[in-house]
Amino acid sequence: MRLNKIFSLTIFYLLITPFIVLILWSFTQTWPAGELLPSEFGFRGWRYILEPHSKVWHSLLVSLSLSGAVTLISLIISIPAGKAIAHYDFVGKSLVETLILAPIIVPPIAVGMGIHLSFIKYGLADSFLGVLLIHLTVTLPYSVRIFISVFKAAGTKWDEQGRTLKANWWARFRYITWYLIKPGLVTGSALVFNVSFSQYFLTFLIGGGKVITLPLILFPFINSGDRVIASSLSLIFILSSLFFMIIAEKCIEDNQRQSEFYYL
Amino acid sequence: MFKRYICIILALAVLISGCSTSAKPAEQQDLLTSDWETIVSTAEGTTVNFYMWGGDERINKWVDTYVSSNMKEKYNISVNRVPMDAAEFINKLLGERQVNRENGSIDLLWINGENFKTAREADMLWGPFAEKLPNFNKYVEKEAPDVAFDFGYPVNGYEVPYGKAQFVFTYDSAKVANPPKSAEELLQWVKDNPGKFTYPQAPDFTGSVFIRQVMYEVAAGYESFPEEIDEQRLEGQLEPLWEYLNELKPYLWRKGETYPPDLAVLDQLYADGEILMTMCYHPTRTAGLVEQGLFPKTSQTMVWEKGTIGNTHFLAIPFNASNKAGAMVVADFLESPEAQISKYDPLKWGDLLGIDINKMEKEYQDQVADIPLGEASLPASVLAAHRVPEIPAGYIPWIEEAWYKEVARGVGN
Repeated sequence: MRLNKIFSLTIFYLLITPFIVLILWSFTQTWPAGELLPSEFGFRGWRYILEPHSKVWHSLLVSLSLSGAVTLISLIISIPAGKAIAHYDFVGKSLVETLILAPIIVPPIAVGMGIHLSFIKYGLADSFLGVLLIHLTVTLPYSVRIFISVFKAAGTKWDEQGRTLKANWWARFRYITWYLIKPGLVTGSALVFNVSFSQYFLTFLIGGGKVITLPLILFPFINSGDRVIASSLSLIFILSSLFFMIIAEKCIEDNQRQSEFYYL
Repeated sequence: MFKRYICIILALAVLISGCSTSAKPAEQQDLLTSDWETIVSTAEGTTVNFYMWGGDERINKWVDTYVSSNMKEKYNISVNRVPMDAAEFINKLLGERQVNRENGSIDLLWINGENFKTAREADMLWGPFAEKLPNFNKYVEKEAPDVAFDFGYPVNGYEVPYGKAQFVFTYDSAKVANPPKSAEELLQWVKDNPGKFTYPQAPDFTGSVFIRQVMYEVAAGYESFPEEIDEQRLEGQLEPLWEYLNELKPYLWRKGETYPPDLAVLDQLYADGEILMTMCYHPTRTAGLVEQGLFPKTSQTMVWEKGTIGNTHFLAIPFNASNKAGAMVVADFLESPEAQISKYDPLKWGDLLGIDINKMEKEYQDQVADIPLGEASLPASVLAAHRVPEIPAGYIPWIEEAWYKEVARGVGN
């Protein structure tokens, strides 16, 4: 028990310390090397973020709606896809599984450059829709994988039980499947949201500067070594994705959870 | 049933994306022959997408506030700054050129050097538009080598000068009494102060300039680099450069076993007091960093006695810009003495004048003289007297690669 406590405290501090450093940096004016704490505090970073011309809030809004939409669509596609692959046998099943994973095995630059050319032809480049589609190619492998495992773990027995009671497909989904895949929904949406929320290269390439998300504003500052503004922006970044995860969890999670184990 | 849904979704997708890139009238073709009034009136009420590097808070702010509000007031044009590195928008344009996309999203570019050369060779720029701009005709010395050539590549009116930059060294005057002012002195100084100097590794922009700066003094000046590259001759020519850098290496920060990956890291090492000198291709940046409290207040900049490398950065318009008229009006405003003087103020940006000070009216010249440059900066006249041009852009990747082979060798990334 004691050992357990020490262990969890260590993990807690390991996670929280970088966070504290970020907060300190975001309020720093000067921080010479060798000093434990900044020698002068200031609001340069936060002032930049609050200035309307810096477009930080606008980009945050774009990021949230983009990643939110990507998450929703990913889930809508992955639930039936996961079920089909987990519960049914069909010709070319292993091929389909491999193809679904392909976008995360092949480097995104290779995928992106090729898709970019086609997107220009179809008029999808430099548009919100184009960025949404390209994000789906990298998020779908993750979410489909998750739902394959979820449906495999859930099995078909409960569904068959429903069938014998003459429940139609919607009733079976609403009252059986929904509860069985809940844990998958929480992890799936958190993962998909974060993969999409932190995309830089593909947003850049397909969005062509027309779709400006938060990472697009953040990266130049990290590159040019402006630690103060970069830290402030990073905090906004982390807090928004944390906020989303909490919301997702609250929306989906069962309030009166009966058991620690979902499939019992 | 399901198929029908897919069809509807696809149709919607095409419709939505079709709207966003709807074609504009082709009247832009004759912009090069129309007069300036027509161009200005065509540009009125439009938006100009200005693609530029976005890593400096002050530059961003200058464009977002000063340029934006002036364009709105004077011409009712909205300026939309898009942060994107030059290498990246060049890639984007290459893709668009490949499929000949009309109505691109970029209207105005901040560009120079290799990227300009690439863009011109792939026929990605629109022009020549320079002589259409009244302020270009009035205030720019067209024959000046640093305006007529961009890293040795002829400009031919496909871009207009935006500003100038010059390589300077920054040192902490509280710790370095007599900063080295030549390659030879630098070698001696580094040997006397081991571990207190280093430079970013090529192909970092600044690291690459430092290598060329040393090259001018120990191997060959800019005159000995013709447009055509003769590798055989070049190898022999650069021999003394590699000898020099290898002699320097064991006395560098961390004994030269590793180099800072970019200028940001070098500046951090300097800010943290680990090294005593840093360098920059932007002569008033140091004053700005001191002002922001990032660099010690005793920081000073200097140039070498035989001069340091300088270059010009430019504005260009892509072949498929949707709003070429607007881009020309914005470019013309950026060539104006008002904009150039505002940009020269180190509190705003601190970029050297892209136009010729001698062609400006007296009142403007006085304004330039009145701008406080900050303790750390050198006056424009000192910089101008110590400025030597760049070599043709084609040599640069070649030298960077050779540096890896000859000097870096086992250096881990």
